[in-house]
Amino acid sequence: MSALAQNEIAAPRSDLRRTGPLLAIAVVALALGAAAPWLVPSQLTLSLATQAIFDALLATSVGFLVLQNGRVSFGQAAFFGLGGYAFGVLLARGLMAPELAFLTALALPTLIAFLLGLVFARIAGVAHAMLTLAVGQAFYEIAFRWRELAKGDDGMSFNLPSRIFGLDSSLLQDPSVMVVVAWSILVLALLGLALFANSRMGQIAAAVRDNAERARFIGHDTTIPPAIVYAISALLAAIAGLLQATYNGYIAPQMFHWSLSGSALIMAVVGGAQFILGPAIGAVCFFILKDFAGRFAEYWPAIVGSVLVVVTLVMPQGIVGLLKAGWLRMRRQP
Amino acid sequence: MTIQLLNGIVYGGLLYLLAVGLVLIFGLREVVNFAHGALFMLGSYIGFTLAAAGHWWLGLLVSVVAMAAVGCLLDVLVFRSLRKHDHIVTVLITFGLLLILETVVTVTWGKAYLSYPVPKLLDGTVTIAGSPFPIYRLFIIAVSLLVAGGLAAWLRFTRMGLYVRAASTNPHVTSLQGIDVDRLSLVVVGLGTALAGLSGVVAGPLLTLSPTMGNYILIDSFIVVVIGGLGSFAGAFFAALLIGQIHNLGAIYLPWAATMLPFLLMIGILIWRPTGFAGSRT
Repeated sequence: MSALAQNEIAAPRSDLRRTGPLLAIAVVALALGAAAPWLVPSQLTLSLATQAIFDALLATSVGFLVLQNGRVSFGQAAFFGLGGYAFGVLLARGLMAPELAFLTALALPTLIAFLLGLVFARIAGVAHAMLTLAVGQAFYEIAFRWRELAKGDDGMSFNLPSRIFGLDSSLLQDPSVMVVVAWSILVLALLGLALFANSRMGQIAAAVRDNAERARFIGHDTTIPPAIVYAISALLAAIAGLLQATYNGYIAPQMFHWSLSGSALIMAVVGGAQFILGPAIGAVCFFILKDFAGRFAEYWPAIVGSVLVVVTLVMPQGIVGLLKAGWLRMRRQP
Repeated sequence: MTIQLLNGIVYGGLLYLLAVGLVLIFGLREVVNFAHGALFMLGSYIGFTLAAAGHWWLGLLVSVVAMAAVGCLLDVLVFRSLRKHDHIVTVLITFGLLLILETVVTVTWGKAYLSYPVPKLLDGTVTIAGSPFPIYRLFIIAVSLLVAGGLAAWLRFTRMGLYVRAASTNPHVTSLQGIDVDRLSLVVVGLGTALAGLSGVVAGPLLTLSPTMGNYILIDSFIVVVIGGLGSFAGAFFAALLIGQIHNLGAIYLPWAATMLPFLLMIGILIWRPTGFAGSRT
C-alpha cells in the first residue's frame, strides 16, 4: 500500500519560493485555457476536450486519495454521481433556487464523504477497496431501482433554468464556454491540491498515511485530517459530476457504476498516482488514445486493459514518474 | 418456505464456488482477483458452445480444464512476476484482464443474451414439501456441497492442504519454512480458476449468458469473502450461505431493499470488524 503513495521527498514548508512558480504556472495555464476557443476552431475538438477535462477531474479526485491518504477507492463514482444527481433531481423537481441546488450538489457529497472518511480512514488495503466498492454500488442500486427519483435505468434529462448565478445558463452547454470553465476549475483544483499537500493539514494527513500510530504519539489528531482529504476528494468528484450533468443536461445510473470508478483509478495509476498532476495527465492520455482508437471502438475496453497491464509492468510509477526519471537522468549527465 | 430456503442455498452454493476461489488466490498471492467474474463468464461460454452442440458434460469438463490452464498462466505470468509490487497494482492488473476478457467474449460470441440448456439427465422436477422443485437446482446444491467437502478434506488431511492453510495464514513465514510458495500457488490459483469455470457452467442454465454476467455475482462473491474474512475457507462457506439466504428472502420480503442488503451488511461488518468474521488479515 505504502509504496504506491510514497513521497520521495517530504514537502518543505510552504514559502514564496515554492508557491511562486506554482502560481505562475497556474496563471499561464488559465490564460492558455481562456484562449483555447480562439486557438482551436473545431467545436468537436472542444467538446472532446471538455469531456477529457471531466475525466481528468474525476481521476484527480481518486489519485488525491491515494497520494494523501494511501487509500485506494473503487467507489469514487459515488460522489461523481451524487453531484450530478443532486443537481439534476433538485432542478427537475423545482425544490429550490438553481443556485442553491448547485451548492447543495457540491456540499452534500462533501459532507457524506467527510462522515464516511471518519470511519473509512481506519480501514486499509483490500478491505478499504471492497468497502468503497460496496458504497458506490449501493448508490448505483438506489439510482437504478428507484424509478420515481430519476427514471431509474433510463436516466433523466432535465432543463437548466434560463439563468444561474446571473449568467445565461445555455452557455454552460456550449463547448467553447464549458471548456474554459472546466479547464479553469481543473487548474485551480490542481493548484489548491498542491497548496493543501504543503499545508500543515496536508502534512499531518501524509504523516497519518505513513504511520498513524507515530503521528498519534507525537500529538497529532489522526481522525480529522484524513477525513478532510476524503471530503476534498469527494468535492472534486462532485464538481466533475455536476459539470458533466450540466453540460449534457442528463443524468443516468451509470454515473455511479463501479466501472467508472475503476477507469478513473486506472487513469490515475497510469498517469502516476504519486504525483498531483499524474491522474489528470493519465486521463488526458487515455482520452487521446480513445480518439485514435475510434475505429476499433468495439475493442476499446481491451485496449484500456492492455495499456493498464503494460504500463504497470513497464513503468510502475506511471507516465509522470517516467518523465521525472528521464528528466533527472538528463540533468545528471549534461 | 422450504422451497425458498432451498433457492437461497442454490445461490449461496454458487457464491461459495466463486468465493472460495477468491479466498484460495488471496491466501497465496494476496490479490483480490477482479478477473474472477470474467473467468466465470468465459467458462460459462466455453461450456455453452459444447452444450449447445449436445455435449453438456463434455462442456463442463472442457471448461474446468481450460480455466485451470488459464489460472496457471495467470499465476506464472502475472502474479509471480508482480509479487514484489504493491498488491493494489496487481489488483488493477486483474481489472485490466477483466476488460480484456469481456472484449474477447463480446467479439467471439456477440452481445446477445444466450440461454444455456439443462442436461437431459437433470431435466424435470421433484416434489419437495408439496411443491415442485427443479432437479437441476438440487444438482447445484450437490456440486457445491461436494466441492466444499472435498476442499475441506484436502485442506485438513493432506500435506499440501496443510501448506495451503499455512500459506493462507502467512505466505512469507511459510516460504521461510522452506515451502515453495510459487509451486504451491500454481496449483492453488489453477484450482481457484477451475472452480470459477465449474461454477460458470453449473450456473449457466440458471442465468442468461452475456459478457457482463460475471460482474453482479462477482461483487456478491467479494461481499462473501470480506464478510467471511479474507483468507478464511470456513468463513467463506458460512458467509456464502448467509448472503444466499439474504439475497433470496430479501427479494421476497423486502424487494425494494433486496439488492442493498448485502452491501449494508458488509459495510456494517467491516466497520465493526475490519477483518471479517473469521479473518485475521486486512
